[in-house]
Amino acid sequence: MSFLLRLALRNLVRNARRTVLSTSAIVVGVFYLVLGQAMVGGVEEGIVRSAEDGLTGHVLIRAADYPDEGLSHPVDVLLDLPEPARAVLQERARASVPRTLFVATLVAGADSLRLRGIGFDPVEDVKVFPRETWKVDGKVPATAEDGVLLGAGAAAMLGIGPGTRVVLQTRTHAGALNALEVPVSGIVSTGNIAIDQVSAYVPHALVAGLIADPRPSHFGVRLAHRDEAPAVAAALAPALGDGFEVVTWEEETRELLRMQKIRRRALDAFVGVLLLMSSFGIANTILMAAHERVREIGTLRAMGLSRRGVLALFLMEGGLMGVVSGLLGAGLGGAGAWWFSVHPLDLSEMGAKGMGGNIQFSTWLYARFDPAMLVAPVLISVAVALLASAWPARSASRMAPAEAVRAA
Amino acid sequence: MPICELRGVSRTYGSGPAKVHAVREIDLVIEAGEFTVFVGPSGSGKTTLLNMVGCLDQPSEGEVLIEGRPTAGLSDRALAHLRAERIGFIFQAFNLIPVLTAVENVELAVQLGGGGDGRARARQALAEVGLTGLEGRRPNQLSGGQQQRVAIARALVRKPALVIADEPTANLDSANGAQVLELMRELNEKHGTTFIFSTHDAMVMEHARRTVFLHDGRIARDEVRAAPAPRAGEGR
Ligand SMILES: Nc1ncnc2c1ncn2[C@@H]1O[C@H](COP(=O)(O)OP(=O)(O)O)[C@@H](O)[C@H]1O
Ligand SMILES: [Mg+2]
Repeated sequence: MSFLLRLALRNLVRNARRTVLSTSAIVVGVFYLVLGQAMVGGVEEGIVRSAEDGLTGHVLIRAADYPDEGLSHPVDVLLDLPEPARAVLQERARASVPRTLFVATLVAGADSLRLRGIGFDPVEDVKVFPRETWKVDGKVPATAEDGVLLGAGAAAMLGIGPGTRVVLQTRTHAGALNALEVPVSGIVSTGNIAIDQVSAYVPHALVAGLIADPRPSHFGVRLAHRDEAPAVAAALAPALGDGFEVVTWEEETRELLRMQKIRRRALDAFVGVLLLMSSFGIANTILMAAHERVREIGTLRAMGLSRRGVLALFLMEGGLMGVVSGLLGAGLGGAGAWWFSVHPLDLSEMGAKGMGGNIQFSTWLYARFDPAMLVAPVLISVAVALLASAWPARSASRMAPAEAVRAA
Repeated sequence: MPICELRGVSRTYGSGPAKVHAVREIDLVIEAGEFTVFVGPSGSGKTTLLNMVGCLDQPSEGEVLIEGRPTAGLSDRALAHLRAERIGFIFQAFNLIPVLTAVENVELAVQLGGGGDGRARARQALAEVGLTGLEGRRPNQLSGGQQQRVAIARALVRKPALVIADEPTANLDSANGAQVLELMRELNEKHGTTFIFSTHDAMVMEHARRTVFLHDGRIARDEVRAAPAPRAGEGR
């Protein structure tokens, strides 16, 4: 078989221009497939990450029927965890921290802004909601005296920085209006639009005073691995009883990920069309090769190559085009994917401003690069090339050798 | 046992009013070691007959036996195997594979027959046809005579029982043609390889010991010369 391979290779190289032209569509298709998958995968991962790290943790405990759309965070229902639920968390969670989400108006001089207050425990919170990606101007409040940590987008809108004194206005648990003057301890860019544009971190001690109740509205839970979320949620639900709702990161991101699935399908369709087009190119090339080389086919048959051997020869030529273009496309796409997995795209420039509210989406898009994801596109490319050459190769193998040897 | 035996062989092309009888009811026996030429005008059926002898084509009627074995029922694979093992072909247009070098063209024949040590055997075969030093050339870097020598080396490298050459000198000038025939004769005598070739050139047929005259697809005359024809360069 190795001599057939050599012959196939030589013929492809001899017609290098034609080979390149007819395989370029496959190269482009595979390139888009790899890079597109990496980008879509990166967006998905970004959605999950920023939800997980910013607002939901792996599992989130909140009041039943808590509104999960728009920017409305009632403090009508506050939570006391029942003892069995604490036991489940003790046993299965890495950490769990209380949080209180409330709607507040922040007043700075003549300007004011409605935003989401995130009541948090300055010391414990980081165990569930990591801060590695945070960029902080000033400092994260360590105590109630330090004041509040304001999202960078909100700070920019108000034109304020660390040290400014602001007034937080909100409603107490009982419904009365309340206000508090506090310093801005720091300005934070978390990379999560939902936080940076419209949120302020407020130490729990301050929140307790503002809403006149020490209880939180949420518990965020971190597990050893995100895959354990459904099982832990299932264990928590009966332990919590009525009045509570347990949601996993998966449920929280499902809607957004569904949009991604549509995007993924659109990509697949686009690549499918490209590959279909390229298969015509390859079929045509193999057909031309077979017609140009009728005499060679006849000679090989006379020398003892069987029909199956001729079939194999032309399938190899097609298959080799698939291998080479698959490797090339996957190499280029993989290089792009790797690059963007290290150097993220900054989406904050690209119309991200329209995505306020509860949409959780990182402004940094990291591609998801994994060498294993190059395998399928290369195999697809080879399969397309082989399928495309099947019929021309078959017709080459069917030529009558006695007539083929005489061909011009 | 004869190398090849044709019994009542006919070959027609097409059907209905366009039907062509290329070869009609031919009985022929070729013994091992023969150096035989098919002679006849263009269209007399030489190529058709050679293709059937070489198992490249099947008769419409009658049977072809190679070394005593009928070939009629053989599968494509079995026929290919038979050609690879027992039969070598030399063509009018040389038919070298253009993308392979001289030595690779010859080596290909070894590999197609499943033999090992192809490169060394190919070099040796090229040496035997006087092409040492030109092994690395592509066909388009060789003269016609050199190309046909490569083709001869390729046909003979697996030591076939039978070599079929359809008008091997038709694309060569007379000097090169004579050299090629001389070479074939030499190899026939040295290895005992059976050669069957065709020509419509009267000078070429003088090299043969047996001459089969074809006319309209039939054997018109079958002559065996008592003494070998005088060798080129030995007077005349
Ligand atoms: N593939 C074919 N289809 C139809 N007729 C053919 C074909 N091949 C050969 N013939 C006819 O068969 C006859 C014998 O041809 P051929 O064997 O090539 O003779 P030669 O080799 O002596 O010139 C000619 O009349 C030729 O036209
Ligand atoms: Mg002819």
